[in-house]
Amino acid sequence: MKRLLTRLLLMLTLAPVASSQAMDWLRETPMLQQRVDAGELPAIQERIPQDVRVVNLLGDQVPGEQGGQMRLLMGKQKDIRQLVIYGYARLVGYTPDLELKADILKSYEVVDNRVFTLHLRKGHKWSDGHPFTSEDFRYYWEDIATNPELSKGGPSRHLVIDGQMPNVEYPDAYTVRYSWPSPNPYFLTALAGPAPLYIYKPAHYLRQFHARYQSAEVLDEMMKKYAKRNWMSVHFNRDRPYKATNPDLPTLQPWMNTTYPPSDRFIFERNPYYHRIDQNGRQLPYIDSVAINIASSKLVPAKTGADESDLQGRYLRMDNYTFLKTGAKRSNYDVRLWKAAKGAHLALFPNLNTSDPVYRELLHDVRFRRALSLAIHRYEINQVVYFKLVQESNNTVLTESPLYKPEYKNDGIEFDLEHANRLLDELGLTRRDDRGVRLMVDGRPLEILVQTAGESTEQTDVLELIHDSWMQAGIKLYTIPSTREVFRNRIFSGDAIMSIWSGLENGIPTADYSPMDLAPTSKYQYQWPKWGSYYESSGKSGEAPELPAVRELVALNDQWTHAGTHQERVDIWHRMLDINREQMFTIGIVNHVPHPVVVNNYLQNVPVTGFYDIIPGAYFGIYKPDTFWFEAARR
Amino acid sequence: MLKYILRRIVTMIPTLLVISMLVFVIIQLPPGDYLESHIAELQSQGESVDEQKIQFLREEYGLDKPVVQQYLYWVAGMLQGDFGYSFEYDLPVTEVVGDRLFLTIIISIATILFTWMIAFPIGIYSATHQYSWGDYGLSMLGFLGLATPNFLLALIMLYLANVYFGTSIGGLMDPEYIGAPWSFDKLLSILEHLWIPVVVIGTSGTAGMIRRLRANLLDELQKQYVTTGRAKGLPPGRLLFKYPLRVALNFFVADVGNLLPAVISGAEIVAVVMSLPTTGPILLSSLQSQDMYLAGSFLMFLALLTVVGVLVSDIALALLDPRIRLGGAASK
Repeated sequence: MKRLLTRLLLMLTLAPVASSQAMDWLRETPMLQQRVDAGELPAIQERIPQDVRVVNLLGDQVPGEQGGQMRLLMGKQKDIRQLVIYGYARLVGYTPDLELKADILKSYEVVDNRVFTLHLRKGHKWSDGHPFTSEDFRYYWEDIATNPELSKGGPSRHLVIDGQMPNVEYPDAYTVRYSWPSPNPYFLTALAGPAPLYIYKPAHYLRQFHARYQSAEVLDEMMKKYAKRNWMSVHFNRDRPYKATNPDLPTLQPWMNTTYPPSDRFIFERNPYYHRIDQNGRQLPYIDSVAINIASSKLVPAKTGADESDLQGRYLRMDNYTFLKTGAKRSNYDVRLWKAAKGAHLALFPNLNTSDPVYRELLHDVRFRRALSLAIHRYEINQVVYFKLVQESNNTVLTESPLYKPEYKNDGIEFDLEHANRLLDELGLTRRDDRGVRLMVDGRPLEILVQTAGESTEQTDVLELIHDSWMQAGIKLYTIPSTREVFRNRIFSGDAIMSIWSGLENGIPTADYSPMDLAPTSKYQYQWPKWGSYYESSGKSGEAPELPAVRELVALNDQWTHAGTHQERVDIWHRMLDINREQMFTIGIVNHVPHPVVVNNYLQNVPVTGFYDIIPGAYFGIYKPDTFWFEAARR
Repeated sequence: MLKYILRRIVTMIPTLLVISMLVFVIIQLPPGDYLESHIAELQSQGESVDEQKIQFLREEYGLDKPVVQQYLYWVAGMLQGDFGYSFEYDLPVTEVVGDRLFLTIIISIATILFTWMIAFPIGIYSATHQYSWGDYGLSMLGFLGLATPNFLLALIMLYLANVYFGTSIGGLMDPEYIGAPWSFDKLLSILEHLWIPVVVIGTSGTAGMIRRLRANLLDELQKQYVTTGRAKGLPPGRLLFKYPLRVALNFFVADVGNLLPAVISGAEIVAVVMSLPTTGPILLSSLQSQDMYLAGSFLMFLALLTVVGVLVSDIALALLDPRIRLGGAASK
């Protein structure tokens, strides 16, 4: 309460300062001072927007000073997009409390979830100094998204609701309005995504590659230069803000790539026109540059242990924890344990679309799925594989989500062989062979082949333990390792009876986050790939769901899309979570798995704990890496 | 002789054509294509996939075309010096590989020199001192090098070098020199890192060379002319180097055919383990992600070098050793 009060007071005192033209409290960035003095770069007053975003660092987060270079390790050249994720400058973005807040935008208004009015910051500039205005939104909508040559399939699916395109208006240079005839609940979440929907593009830069603005001769030359077959490919290749492979492409992110690929080391430098400053008038990011070194992903833990990274979470796993801790004694870093935000770290996915009719009938029966869950000794798995550091849980929302209810997590996860055996007997699986394995109606033994993508021994270890306890329920489990592509194809085709993979991507959703992962909406949902494919293709491929409960989930998901109020969405979420609890379409095993994060001791403002996952937190993104800073020894 | 060379060059064409077909078919054998493995990778990391973008890329990369057409497109391009496009790097293949070729050649040549420097004296010593303690001891050392798994040795040496010398783990130079212009410090940094891969890769090759040199030399040492030379009072060193050693070197020249591609590809496994900026890891990852033009063009390049290398070694052998005949047809 006291903290809230001080925060309010501070905001009150700072707000008028920020909005007034008295900008003398701003301090020039030391790294840029020379270029400003030489006249190559305007002074800070002209670089930042007039409606600058002031970030107040309070509590555990303290304002710092600018300078220094942060080292990161990545496994592939493609991974440099991680810095676009970490940077997390979005039109609207999530706060650590998972509320949506205007970021690049000054503000936005929403009417009925249909009409979105976006207000830009006056004087906001791209990283090359060109003004960022509604023209950049117009360019995206008219010259890219609805250009029949550049976007053959039309705009992104988040922008087309019930087959309807939005009406996009640009009342003035700082206002953009998107309006749909029916609600679009995906719009803001898509803008805030780790891989965001870019509805703005640097028009002044990209025009030179566009057939509408550029002569055919020049385009011909460009096609030759970039080894492309047509101008669309050149445009596409130059315009990949998420990939960060084109250093010439202006950006709004805190750091911009300055290295042309291919390389094993990429330097991202501070964006001199970035739109956030701290309460002391220092422009963010604090850290001048980020060096990404590419090393084989298997070497990343060893290199991290040798103090070659300042902030590392990627490619570290729980099994590296003891090694990293040992290394911390001779190197200058701290190992912190963050948590994964997935609904289940590991879950079994019974393939309800399996092509074997006997197994399909069994898997369609909720009593069978429940018996499988009851016959898993999750406590033992927690002890043996995870050193009792994780939570035994269904594949559902985490305790931190506002939608959490204890029964979602706990229903049916107790180890109860007696109950499991009773359920299986009820199903008529009473005959057994000489191994004690139950026989199915056609006389075949009840053997369940669980597909794994063969990526870690952790999955096979867990399956080995499940094998032992299932055996006591008369079910024989076989682990079938393969490669990721084969694994997926077996599931899609219906060859697989069951698979093991991670659960819900976002375990800490709010009611405004789409519940589509709980209903068959995508073929990548391993419990019902064909039903998902049916929904995704509007009935062109896949199969229509036959189970009533699944049909209800599809209907609820559609209802959510059209829901007018927050309360309605909350109710729909709970209904869907409850159906999933009751029906146990996926069998969650554990969640809240710790993830080691290595932080250099000189690096300040990195939270001691947090959620380490791409959705919804963009890994470090929502914790604002632009406010991390180095102590003087490393500047 | 000229006729022989011509004939060999002409037969290289169908050989390479068959290799190109094999390479292409084998790369295409695993299910799916580059985009599918790309989607699988993104999904496994929880990133969203824009189906429309994927469709755009599929057309752009020509993956929607029949395999035969893709193959013809690739071969026709190579004939014009266009090795295709790497999907993974979003760059032409030549740019991706070209960058790494130089360092690969440095490592390979250093390794080969290292192998020779170790293997030659040992091979000669163990042949001239057959069944002595030195012969057994040194041969065992060579075999130890052969038997130790390279990747294990690499990991141990990386760790020790880091703990005791503070060398950064993996790579071929300290990170701050990557992409920096050449300087004395950069060279020092490379030398500081270079010795580990050279020793690791080198030790595995020495045993083979020691044994081959020893066997060849032993064959020669028994022969009449050696005895004659010794009887005429030639000093042992001069006798050894002037006559039997030269004859025993045939195998060495025959090896050139394998040497050429090895110089370019580097030792893949060690390079992957040690994260060396050489071509090996690129080849491996392109095969894994089905980045077919990158993998295909690179394999073709290696095949070409092998074929040329074999030709060069055959010609060199023919020049060196009059006993070798130029095949049935040419000698008639």
